[in-house]
Amino acid sequence: MNSAQIEIQLIASLVAIACAIPGTFLVLRKMAMISDAISHSILPGIVIGFFITQDLNSPILILFAAFTGIITVVLVEYIQKTGLVKEDTAIGLVFPALFSIGVILIAKNANDVHLDVDAVLLGELAFAPFDRLLISGIDVGPKALWIIGVILLITISLLFAFFKELKISTFDAGLAASLGFSPAIIHYGLMSVASVTTVGAFDAVGAILVVALMITPAATAYLLTTDLKKMLALAITFGVLSAISGYWFAHWLDASIAGSITTMLGLLFLIVYLFAPSKGVIAVMYREKQQRIEVSLLTFLLHLKNHNELEERHVNHLREHINWQKVRAKTVLELALKNNMIMVDNNIVSLTEKGDTFTSKAIDYIITNEDAQIEDMKDDFFLFRG
Amino acid sequence: MTKIAVKVDDLTVAYNYKPVLWDIDLEIPEGVLMAIVGPNGAGKSTLIKSILGILKPIAGSVSIYGKPYEKQRQLVAYVPQKGSVDWDFPTTALDVVMMGTYGSLGWIKRPRQKEKKAALEALEKVGMLAFKNRQISQLSGGQQQRIFLARALVQNASIYFMDEPFQGVDATTEIAIINILKELRKAGKTVIVVHHDLQTVPEYFDWVTFLNVKKIATGPVKDIFNDDNLTKTYGINYKVSIQK
Repeated sequence: MNSAQIEIQLIASLVAIACAIPGTFLVLRKMAMISDAISHSILPGIVIGFFITQDLNSPILILFAAFTGIITVVLVEYIQKTGLVKEDTAIGLVFPALFSIGVILIAKNANDVHLDVDAVLLGELAFAPFDRLLISGIDVGPKALWIIGVILLITISLLFAFFKELKISTFDAGLAASLGFSPAIIHYGLMSVASVTTVGAFDAVGAILVVALMITPAATAYLLTTDLKKMLALAITFGVLSAISGYWFAHWLDASIAGSITTMLGLLFLIVYLFAPSKGVIAVMYREKQQRIEVSLLTFLLHLKNHNELEERHVNHLREHINWQKVRAKTVLELALKNNMIMVDNNIVSLTEKGDTFTSKAIDYIITNEDAQIEDMKDDFFLFRG
Repeated sequence: MTKIAVKVDDLTVAYNYKPVLWDIDLEIPEGVLMAIVGPNGAGKSTLIKSILGILKPIAGSVSIYGKPYEKQRQLVAYVPQKGSVDWDFPTTALDVVMMGTYGSLGWIKRPRQKEKKAALEALEKVGMLAFKNRQISQLSGGQQQRIFLARALVQNASIYFMDEPFQGVDATTEIAIINILKELRKAGKTVIVVHHDLQTVPEYFDWVTFLNVKKIATGPVKDIFNDDNLTKTYGINYKVSIQK
């Protein structure tokens, strides 16, 4: 690995971390689309800032762009508050308007500079190491690295200082307000961080990847944990993992780094979506199947408990009577036998003592705990299964 | 004379210029367990939210023990409607209860052992200690409401505002909650509850406020909880059997 390669991976990783932090809160606040809006509508801010400073990496330009980000949020909320359109429509109205102003400004006035629409949308991480920061003539590293480094430092400090406030206002804005933590201040604080991060990351990775880096790692982490701190840590890990693997994927394919990182993010999400231990598609399918069998088992046992007549408990009759298909009836019958809950004598099924106790207990549990779902009984079921 | 815990003067609140509360005057004496009743859209939740400064009124003022709410936050605990939060939020029962301590901590400072201990005690009081590490989405409706109650208890306030704490909870939880509320009153606290079930008002509460955009009546249940006020509030000939 040469130094440019290391620098690119470092920039990509820092951008991933800086995006994952506000991204986690955006996902939890169901505001994922607002990051898309911000990433586009900061364009006019960047262009106007560039006209004033004539420097693409000036901090003033970043502030200008962040300011347009905040304007986007305010406009969206204002339009939404009129009650005439819904939030997603408001977002769809605001950011294309601001973005198009930016596009026109570039086309009219900035044709001769590096600012072009392609770079804005996709970024060009590969060129980042060429733009060096010189302090009194000494090369201290790529400018992009310093910009995102500073932004990340600020983001992390804010996260540590206001973690509690972010959590409470995200979970329960009403309580936060009644306790004196103004949800509006925290909301706009978060939006400012999201805007600044977007601007800082934008030049390196472009508008589309910024959104992917904010939302995808957080959405992936959300499927894996029920703890906010772990969710943040996982989101950061997924972001960095995708950044580095994406870089090498691009290297191997000789393709866009930004595109490859986004692909990796998508792949990671897909894997987690399928295989996450409790929220993943496969886990959910397995659980539903188990629940079906367990409910069937309980129905079967209950039927035995309620009927003493021999004809109601004949093996063949049971199948017709409870109206189950052959396979299902067989599965349930075998499950009950295996757990010594029933005995079969001359094709007449009856409950064992264990089966009887279990049925009473299970029914008791369902009746006394009305809104507890059948899932809560799993401990019991596994216990009896041995 | 008993002290006035909450005083509302000429309060008018509007959503998009449509008043939902009109010129409310209300005095809630210290130490009562009060129900706010009224039909849907009567402004019951709005009244609580305006007292707590969550909504800005277009006219009028609110005082808690004679001072504005902003200066008396420490004296007040609030239980929002259960449906107002996202129960899929990645956090545990204990963590939600800990949020009740944030108010006394103020900005930036973090909860420590002392706050954790208080939260565990509150969980025990509502019978939820065994569930402290449960993710909140894996709790039943009744259990979630108990967690919300514990979060208010941990604030150790003088006045408790609760928005429909009995909504969607099982009978056992309802009894557990009302017993805790009665204990709070016994300890001299003031408890104000938005309530839907008129049948249980005489059994649960000793004070009641009838509300329907305007205040209809407020006072002791035994004096004012009658068919006349119910009819005025609900607009139809309302009759409930009142156990005197």
